Amino acid sequence: MPPSTCYNCKAARAVIIRPKNRHKLCRECFIQIFELEVHETITSANLFFRGERIAIGASGGKDSTVLAAVLKTLNERYDYGLDLSLLSIDEGIRGYRDDSLETVKRNAVQYEMPLEIVGYGELYGWTMDQVVEQVGKKGNCTYCGVFRRQALDRGAARLGINHVVTGHNADDVAETVMMNLLRGDLPRLSRGTSIVTESGASDIKRSKPLKYAYEKEIVLYAHHRQLDYFSTECIYSPEAFRGSARTLIKDLEKIRPSSILDIVKSGEDMAALVPSQVRGAGKSCKSSAPADDEAAGGCGSQNGRTSGGEMAAMENQLAANDTAESRETEIRIPRKGLEAKKIKTQTLQYCEQCGYISSQRICKACTLLDGLNRNRPKAAIEISLEDEEGSSTLARQMERTQLTNS
Amino acid sequence: MPAIEMDAPCMECNEANAILNTRNRSFCGPCYQRFLAYKVWRRMDHYRPRPQKNVKPTKPAQPQLLLPLSLGVSSSVLLHILDTGLKRQLAKSGRTSYAIHILVVEPSTELPMSVSYDTHVDAVREAFPTYSVTRIPLHRVFEYVPDMTDIMAEYAGPQFTDDASQSNEERLAAFRSVVSTATSKSDLDTVLFTRLIVGYAKQAGCESILWGDTDTSLAAKTLAGAAKGRGASLTWQVSDGMSPWGIKFDFPCRDISKPELSQYESVCPEISAVVIPDAPLSDNILTKNLSIDELMLRYVTTQGEKYPGVMANVSRTAHKLETTSGSPSALCSLCGGMIENVKGNETGLTVASQFAGKGSQFCYGCMRSRPEIIS
Amino acid sequence: MTDPTSGSVAPIPITVEFTGGLEILFSNERKHKITVPGRLDDGSQPNISYLLRYLVDNLMKDQRKELFIMEDNVRPGILVLINDADWELEGEEAYELQPGDNIVFVSTLHGG
Repeated sequence: MPPSTCYNCKAARAVIIRPKNRHKLCRECFIQIFELEVHETITSANLFFRGERIAIGASGGKDSTVLAAVLKTLNERYDYGLDLSLLSIDEGIRGYRDDSLETVKRNAVQYEMPLEIVGYGELYGWTMDQVVEQVGKKGNCTYCGVFRRQALDRGAARLGINHVVTGHNADDVAETVMMNLLRGDLPRLSRGTSIVTESGASDIKRSKPLKYAYEKEIVLYAHHRQLDYFSTECIYSPEAFRGSARTLIKDLEKIRPSSILDIVKSGEDMAALVPSQVRGAGKSCKSSAPADDEAAGGCGSQNGRTSGGEMAAMENQLAANDTAESRETEIRIPRKGLEAKKIKTQTLQYCEQCGYISSQRICKACTLLDGLNRNRPKAAIEISLEDEEGSSTLARQMERTQLTNS
Repeated sequence: MPAIEMDAPCMECNEANAILNTRNRSFCGPCYQRFLAYKVWRRMDHYRPRPQKNVKPTKPAQPQLLLPLSLGVSSSVLLHILDTGLKRQLAKSGRTSYAIHILVVEPSTELPMSVSYDTHVDAVREAFPTYSVTRIPLHRVFEYVPDMTDIMAEYAGPQFTDDASQSNEERLAAFRSVVSTATSKSDLDTVLFTRLIVGYAKQAGCESILWGDTDTSLAAKTLAGAAKGRGASLTWQVSDGMSPWGIKFDFPCRDISKPELSQYESVCPEISAVVIPDAPLSDNILTKNLSIDELMLRYVTTQGEKYPGVMANVSRTAHKLETTSGSPSALCSLCGGMIENVKGNETGLTVASQFAGKGSQFCYGCMRSRPEIIS
Repeated sequence: MTDPTSGSVAPIPITVEFTGGLEILFSNERKHKITVPGRLDDGSQPNISYLLRYLVDNLMKDQRKELFIMEDNVRPGILVLINDADWELEGEEAYELQPGDNIVFVSTLHGG
């Protein structure tokens, strides 16, 4: 196969073929165009204002490392006038997070950004190592996910910063769209694709400047700029990335490379079609949606990704609903309007213990902490779909039945 | 859903042996059929004329409905269920609340030679003698979509030249052959089928089209539509209501799964000669060679065995989205989808931002399926 | 292409790299220098398909082959770079290995 020349400069050897339009690009043009597109995303969404202080949620992984590198580049090239910091979470997992935190520390030096690390230990009095010691490995991801949601906000508050950017990419957004269709979650479908989410509890805005960037291009950008990033799997959830929706996304990409952005496009249109009464409190109200599915910089299963076990939990819930419904139809004569549209709404309030935004009187983090502190592994609360009690076998079965297995 | 082997009475009639099982209940054949039929009849209930108080009952025009019959399990069972319901109505009140016309569209190309449409269409006429049965090939789409020539030229680009001196069958085959990927071919074919059926239905004076889709195929269509950038069109592609062409779409089997309809067929000898069995899902096809439509159907089918509730919920979710009809956006000249973004999606991806420099009478999804023209 | 009478063909030395989390499947080593035969038993030249089989049979210590290979090809979500170029530009699994080639496998599936 003769070497291809770059579609853009028509001179250098092409090393990239772009998923979104199949353009072949050389290294330099690819880096330029990738950065330009992130710049366009930022400017068209008016993401930042001059002088704004921004905390980059940094895990040391590819997405947040690329985000930090690109933001630094763009801030200088286009003179955004931003004050950038790195904000990392230390879950307290020896042999996992301490290595990636070393990467973040190097990034802080490389990109000349101050770094703030907030630890579960100092925030909650429990490191994940200690949590796992008490509750075991099963279900520990629930604790980690719930804790992380608040940790970023609290870290930003400590820095006096109101805007946290996270490394969510187009693949993450596409997976979220698919998962929300699968779980029938209209409120999340309405906000899962938006570039900015605001959380009323802490006045901290979250945004994802890489939402239109293909994961593939992020990895290639990191490769061609030789960025220093760290990739690993959490030792407590070693197969978190093997989620079924993720596999579906990667299969789709194989069939039609553009499809990830196509899903994002569909997701954006569908978000606008979610009936307004279902969207949560509505756009005008600042405290609309808690950013509870926006936990950034964590392990695969938390970075907008899902584990196979979630499907099993969904099925159980739906099966229960369905049984109840078919019992009804057994007695009643079918009539019009029987399938009245069931609509989930959320009412938001503040946690009575810690003041964080919550859909319950006491937020999930405080409830979990109460359980831990009372030396009871799992409090009798509803952890909704994330609760993976007993689902690990099912998760494994799911993986076996996945399509890619021939 | 395994058949039950031991002798257990049907939970419905308590008389016959239960031989089929679904949703944690076991039935004898006739009760199973009735169980599913009720779900369909309920969906058709809104066609029943409602007497209004203080208004002298005038005889309303009977709704004319088109049932496109693919001769697969779903549409054939739908036909049988509706036929049963209409017969009951007739016996009870001497009249029916709607009339059905059957349309069989022959895919003019790519049909396995082993299948004889003649035999199966004859079987339809024999099993359902009271309905009009029309059979037309796909290339008749030229008659029902008047601007087909323009659409083909714009869609296929300079690599395609339409030769109007050829037969419509040849012209269509030439057009389809420039679309290279499995996904785009399948996408285009679906659109052409829909356009032909819609065109026929309108000409025949039908007010609605009754699609045979089950919750299984609707879930697959929902996920595939989302994956092909057609999210905005799901509000009519998988939902009951008005289509972009001013004719309604109904999905009366939307509460029933494909395996449930297959079980129905297994106890329904009346349609055994009608149905062309589905080709089994081949294990030998590499994922990358599947179309997105096939990938999603496989996904929903395999996952549906373990998680039927999750899969059934997918199309219900899409069904809750607000309709786009009445939106000011121009519609795609090919598929009828919106060219502009949905109102409220102001900052998202657009046809213009993703396909720069290409004029567009097409929506995002059709632009994506067009043959790629890249230097 | 090659003359079958020309006798033995020199073996091909190449470098293989695993990054993005794939290292753990290959003894936690990022870079591996290997040598593949210049010609295979059936007379063909070794290509990427051959290399994949070779890696699974000889270099991969982890038992979970499916984390690297699916449908006899690289698992979706793993990128392959041939001398820094996306393998899609080089003919994917049909690319014939050349002496001194640098083949990089990068996982996009791992988190941080």
